[in-house]
Amino acid sequence: MKRKVAIIGGGQTYHASRRHDVNQGEMVNEAVRAALDDAQMTMDDVDAVLLGNMEFFEGCHMTDCWLADATGAYGKPGLKITTGGTVGATEVVAGAHHVASGLFDRVLVIGFEKQEEGDSSAILSGVAHPLYGRSLAGAAVGYFAMMGASYMQAYGAREEHSAMVAVKARQNARKNPYAHLKLDITIQDVLASKMLAYPIRLMDMCPTSNGACAMILADEKTAKDRCKKPVWFRAAETAHNEQFELTWRDVTTTKPIFSRVCADKLYKKLGVENPAAFFDVFEIYEPATWAELVWYEDLGLCKRGEGFRLIEEGKTEINGAIPVNPSGGVLSTNAIGATAMLRVWEAALQIRGDAGEHQVPKDVNWALTTAYGGTNWTVMTALSKEWED
Amino acid sequence: MEQELINIPMVVDMPYRFAAGCYLARFLTELRDNGKFFGIKCPNCGRVQMPPRIVCAACHVKNGEWVEISHEGTLMGFSIVHLPLTDPTTGQPHKTPYTYGIVRLDGADSFIEHFIEVEPDIAKVWVGMRVRAVLRPREQRTGDLNDIQHFAPIGEA
Repeated sequence: MKRKVAIIGGGQTYHASRRHDVNQGEMVNEAVRAALDDAQMTMDDVDAVLLGNMEFFEGCHMTDCWLADATGAYGKPGLKITTGGTVGATEVVAGAHHVASGLFDRVLVIGFEKQEEGDSSAILSGVAHPLYGRSLAGAAVGYFAMMGASYMQAYGAREEHSAMVAVKARQNARKNPYAHLKLDITIQDVLASKMLAYPIRLMDMCPTSNGACAMILADEKTAKDRCKKPVWFRAAETAHNEQFELTWRDVTTTKPIFSRVCADKLYKKLGVENPAAFFDVFEIYEPATWAELVWYEDLGLCKRGEGFRLIEEGKTEINGAIPVNPSGGVLSTNAIGATAMLRVWEAALQIRGDAGEHQVPKDVNWALTTAYGGTNWTVMTALSKEWED
Repeated sequence: MEQELINIPMVVDMPYRFAAGCYLARFLTELRDNGKFFGIKCPNCGRVQMPPRIVCAACHVKNGEWVEISHEGTLMGFSIVHLPLTDPTTGQPHKTPYTYGIVRLDGADSFIEHFIEVEPDIAKVWVGMRVRAVLRPREQRTGDLNDIQHFAPIGEA
């Protein structure tokens, strides 16, 4: 990157399945104000505004225009980004590129979703090809169910293992005041929840949330002058799967699928050989429990086929050796346009030591985040506390 | 006094006309008229991709040779769906429970996703199961992936 980039502030709304008390602009404004307060800035200090959400999830297009007042974008340069579930992370990366290029010094990035206003499943079915598979489309649950069935058969994992992921997420969420599903549940509760698509039960899936997240990215001078705890944006990578190629649902595939390609590229950039030791915390995009176990493997935190051992041994708990999603993750909160940005923001909070009750009990110098979206692509970021390591 | 909150229910109904393009159109007309599956082979890496498409994404080259694909293949993943998901093309919910999966047809590198005609019982379906495409009768085929009725196990399940 041409210039160093830091996260100098951020904020989020609380997340819930009902936010009838606010409209989209009022909800987004909650996150924007929180981010400005955190950075001790006003809108006058912001050079450009990037906004993102899922196309048409709220039943209206061009949310960047609709919300120009509430986002603070009025009279400023900026743009709207939509890349599916990855959008929040794409915005962080785009914001970082705008700062790194020297074009702007302070960029506000915002991701939001007010799912209650639209029909997410109906819009998602529009992602599927009209003549090639749309009649089977309708929800992400089926895809992750196939991944889970494939995982169980290949490696001998059981439903109890995915249930452990579900419990970890919701117990962590209880420590996060902004999380949606703060559930005091046990493995038995998960296994007793309704079967949606074998082997995925209700508690194996993420909720439908409303909420927003905003972050402020800045150049090195601004960061050092104005921010006590800047978090450095060290690297990012994006990788796609091929359209129509469904190989990723077979967990034994040896093909270069998006998640593995992206991790490889990011690790090469940073010279990471042992990611489980290099990074102190992970915030990953797990729409379903089984996806988390597969992420462990695709990120190289363990050998292939051993992801379920990590959860079994408690290694990815908040106080484990490899903490994954101390925030409660996507399984606890999924306001889609905000979700991938929340991964980055929660990772930044961990590095600052400001995560409160869900702060991992160790020094956090490096964090890794992932995103998940579209017809399978990911955006990963790496953050650090210090620039000189 | 509590503020009254207004929420207005609305429906967006949007007609549109989808162009399949020359590659997919040829695939769908072969399926509809002749009951055949075709893939397309990358001149560089040799992968046979189905449905056929203009570019091999991995090699960034134009795909060339059309290759006929078998009606038989191997189940590579499956789920038994209990949630009454709506079929977006009809607006009606699928009858649950049903099994669907991904199949690699012999001769293709791609997977195809479809209904699997087995009892919705995890003892009756597994990764590696051999299956065969069952097409709708010619007069019912319209040039859509639904011209395949489902995949059925080959021989004794």
